[in-house]
Amino acid sequence: MNQIEEYLAVAAGKSEVHAGDDITVNVDLAIAHDITGPMAVEQFKKIGIDHVFDAKKVVFVLDHIIPAATVEAKVLHNVLKDFAKDYGVQLYNKGEGVIHQVVAEKNRLNRGAILVGADSHTCMAGAYGAIAIPVGATELAAVMATGTLDLEVPEVFEIRLEGKLNPGVYAKDVILHLIGYFGTAGFTDQGVIYTGSLVDELTIDDKMTISNMGIEMGTMISYFADRDRPVGTVKEVYTFQAEDIPARVACPPNPGNVASASDLSGVNISQVVIGSCTNGRFSDMLVAANILKGRRAAEGVTLLIIPASAEIAKEMEEQGLNRIFREAGGIVTSPGCGPCFGAHMGLLASDDVAVSTTNRNFPGRMGHREAKVYLASPRVAAESAIAGTIVPPGTVVPLGGLENELA
Amino acid sequence: MSWHSQLRGRIWKLGKNIDTDQILPGYAMAAPMEKLKDYALAGSEIQDFASRVQSGDILVAGENFGCGSSREQAPVALKDAGVSLIIAKSFARIFRRNAINIGLPVLICDLEQHVENGQDIEVDLVSAEVTVSASGSKISGTVLAPNVLETLEAGGLIAKVRKQLKIS
Repeated sequence: MNQIEEYLAVAAGKSEVHAGDDITVNVDLAIAHDITGPMAVEQFKKIGIDHVFDAKKVVFVLDHIIPAATVEAKVLHNVLKDFAKDYGVQLYNKGEGVIHQVVAEKNRLNRGAILVGADSHTCMAGAYGAIAIPVGATELAAVMATGTLDLEVPEVFEIRLEGKLNPGVYAKDVILHLIGYFGTAGFTDQGVIYTGSLVDELTIDDKMTISNMGIEMGTMISYFADRDRPVGTVKEVYTFQAEDIPARVACPPNPGNVASASDLSGVNISQVVIGSCTNGRFSDMLVAANILKGRRAAEGVTLLIIPASAEIAKEMEEQGLNRIFREAGGIVTSPGCGPCFGAHMGLLASDDVAVSTTNRNFPGRMGHREAKVYLASPRVAAESAIAGTIVPPGTVVPLGGLENELA
Repeated sequence: MSWHSQLRGRIWKLGKNIDTDQILPGYAMAAPMEKLKDYALAGSEIQDFASRVQSGDILVAGENFGCGSSREQAPVALKDAGVSLIIAKSFARIFRRNAINIGLPVLICDLEQHVENGQDIEVDLVSAEVTVSASGSKISGTVLAPNVLETLEAGGLIAKVRKQLKIS
């Protein structure tokens, strides 16, 4: 067995499991947000029981449309508020941030814990060793009732990342590189274990960026290995050298359409978004602030800065980052998902072109379906904001030593 | 919807990588449940699908259908609009499970190249066999797993859970 199978076996109360086995696992935490939660609540109520399996193990977070942009969105908030009150489950409704970041900050799961979330980026918790499985609302409702999830044990692949990243290349470039290599359906229904000497050097923030976008190559589970014990038997091992990975950009119409940032140089842009569950952590903001300090976003570029959580927003405030962003002409919004999924705060018209640190660029993802969204690291996004066109890292601010200037 | 293992319907052809934003755009996500069907495929190349679809119609697509978000509103919108079945070369994991969980059948079959838009097909979900009505030619798909058939027969996951928890 490999590490993922070992944890699934424990959660299923079995001594061994193998790829293809149908098993039922006990769930340690079930989560949903203001878009998926209300539908899960509706389905849960159809089951006809008066309690959830364990009120301490169900968490709702309002993050997708908060503050409510429409009356309909507020109705969704109220559905969760009422349910939380009636059933005693935890609700984060004060703008605490994006669900995956909030769960990481307030509810850090033990390695091997089973997390089930009604959001596709639930896989982000694999960064700290949780077995994190994204589901839809009905499946979450079933988990809320039974405390268990039925699943098929996935085939598991190992992605070994070796060496050191080049200056100006970040975790976001690594995951974009991998999605470009394996494709958006590269690991559908399968699990991935990350290992290697690069991984040992990555911060938890970096790991979160990588596991977050696992779903963009179809993974069921995106898990960072426990380095203190063997990975175990996997289906296949893929090895990548970090030095071979350049700064990457995913072009429309999907995250698998990956090019090198240097090949896109000169593409005019009208909006830059820095934030989201993928790249809205303090370390991302620090990179962007170092670029934007004393500079201004180009004429015609709307610069949006969206912290992934209230804790991150607080740190940004305390360390003076918000002032830097505002003086650069940026709009610092409240923590949450922002325009990432196309419902509010920064939507694009048909002729707009955005560079965004978010995780998806499908047609219509951030507004009009003819708008173009390019996905990149906070560094490329920040430098592009100043240039007014997509630029490779090092164009506006020379490579090297950047991260320490403000810290 | 009661369970029918034999289906007949008119097809709508779609390409590959039809993501959940195309199936149901973000701006429609907060719409009341009963209105979701009005936005079915509004983000795709068939933007007026909701006004043209007829009950029993079948979607035929290429690989990776339903990639992207876990939003269950996407299959709900298709089902409520009248779609009786989705056939694709492959499905993204969460979409496939969501569809089955709400009682909307999905069949893995490389059918796209064998049919024309608007043609009628007959499908046997138990044998996973597709028959093109006009020519009579038959194409086989992947047989559905027993637990998937069981969920579809029950009308979706909620009915199955009720049975499991012995709620009558």
